[in-house]
Amino acid sequence: MYLLKLLAELATTDTTPLEQSAPRRAALESLGRFSAKTLAAALPLGLAALPTQAGTTTILDSLTLALQLERLQEAFYARALAAPAGFFPADATIRASIVTMQRHQQQHITLLTDAITNSGGTAPARPNYDFTGSRNGTQPAFFASVFSNFDDFLRLAQLLEDAGVRAYKGQVEALISNDFILQTALQMHSTEARHAARIRIIRQKRAAVVKPWPSPADASITVAGKTDIVYSGENALEQSVPGYRPVPFRLLPIGSGANILTQGVPEAFDELLNTAQASTLLGLFTY
Amino acid sequence: MHTPSSPARMLARRSFFRVAGAGAAASALVLAGCGKDDPEPTVAGTPTLTLGSFVTTTSSDPNITVLNYAYLLEQIEAAFYDKVVATPPADLQPGELAYLTDLRDHELIHREYLKYALGTSAYDNSLSAPLVFNFSTFTLTTRTGVWTAARQLEEIGVAAYNGAAKYLTSAEHLNALGKIVSVEARHAALAREVLQPGSFADNVGTTGLDDAKTPAQIVALIQPFVPVVISTANLPTT
Repeated sequence: MYLLKLLAELATTDTTPLEQSAPRRAALESLGRFSAKTLAAALPLGLAALPTQAGTTTILDSLTLALQLERLQEAFYARALAAPAGFFPADATIRASIVTMQRHQQQHITLLTDAITNSGGTAPARPNYDFTGSRNGTQPAFFASVFSNFDDFLRLAQLLEDAGVRAYKGQVEALISNDFILQTALQMHSTEARHAARIRIIRQKRAAVVKPWPSPADASITVAGKTDIVYSGENALEQSVPGYRPVPFRLLPIGSGANILTQGVPEAFDELLNTAQASTLLGLFTY
Repeated sequence: MHTPSSPARMLARRSFFRVAGAGAAASALVLAGCGKDDPEPTVAGTPTLTLGSFVTTTSSDPNITVLNYAYLLEQIEAAFYDKVVATPPADLQPGELAYLTDLRDHELIHREYLKYALGTSAYDNSLSAPLVFNFSTFTLTTRTGVWTAARQLEEIGVAAYNGAAKYLTSAEHLNALGKIVSVEARHAALAREVLQPGSFADNVGTTGLDDAKTPAQIVALIQPFVPVVISTANLPTT
């Protein structure tokens, strides 16, 4: 089954030359399974010259990116939970929810770190975080009140959770050759989606114009040139099926609601963030 | 393991669908991806919906089978919300009908997306009439009953996608299912929150992982809603 998957991948990938450092290759092999790239590397020379997986994201790269995002979120909640009394509102379920989310992120960090180290890889050093966006005071802050104004905190929480969902989604393709890691990543991914929905529901109850899922009807909370990357492309009006054929929603029996094509369709699909976009977002809050 | 030529497989599948369609009224309904080259539909007795083999390499495309599985689940969800929105319970709170309408729309869109993606491979193309799903196990006359049912169906959806995505070999299909499953998880969290604030992730285990269920586990959960017996004979177990 794995072999068939890999052959299918090889058949559909471009001709990017194989480029992979030896340590990384060794780490991947010790995952006990293999990616298209390691298979290509293991094949005789003639076959190794065949097309390899598009792009250069390996399973190890994907796990590392996920680890960095989970650490960012965990640190964010840790600081909020350490804020002076009165920062959280009186409704005790709100603080309890943030505690739950932080616990999930700690659990994800453990899972991801184990997967990386057990495979012979090395988890990157933990960076410093500045959630005001000032990069430790070296530039103007765009979330200056994030730990003093609870609604500001919720806005950044929503951004980070929605971005986390999108970032996991952007990595699943790189994990397709490893059933175990793919399923685990998807299980973390839908946990993140629950977090995002909860944050959005808390905001909605505090009179923000927002739904539990990203919607064109949401009031924008992004900062142009900074956090707008989080929702870049999220309100796509079109979807495609393999072969990049667009789905003609207006011709399908999906109902006749006034906003079905302009609101329902974008809401029904969460979009992905690619590796570069997710890394850019990480860079806004790390130094 | 014999491997019929491509045209031979096409022919086998095409004729198979015709047989299934002709027999639908009296007997067999078969979900695409049949694992046998010469399927023999049951002609009498209880109608049966056979989920095909996910991993058979000779005559079945696992992508088609997984998409048909997802399509069946989305059909159930869409039918449920359609029914609720048509006759909502009287005690809904402000904003809840709008949410249920959104959920209905999302599931209709998911259903039709998958049907379009499947094209001629959609399992119900040859049925003489659409399946009519049975929600009599739910209490749909109260808001609590409706949201409890929604929670159950959404949790089934999330666990089903999380558990079956690994059988896909097409990255494009995997990406598409990834786009859908997080919306289902948001639905599940909403249903939980309506019933009890703070319970958005009560099903998430001690390692921080949301549910993933095997197709066989999911079939056991959805059987009460489906008017024909779902056969798990060809489902993967690993």
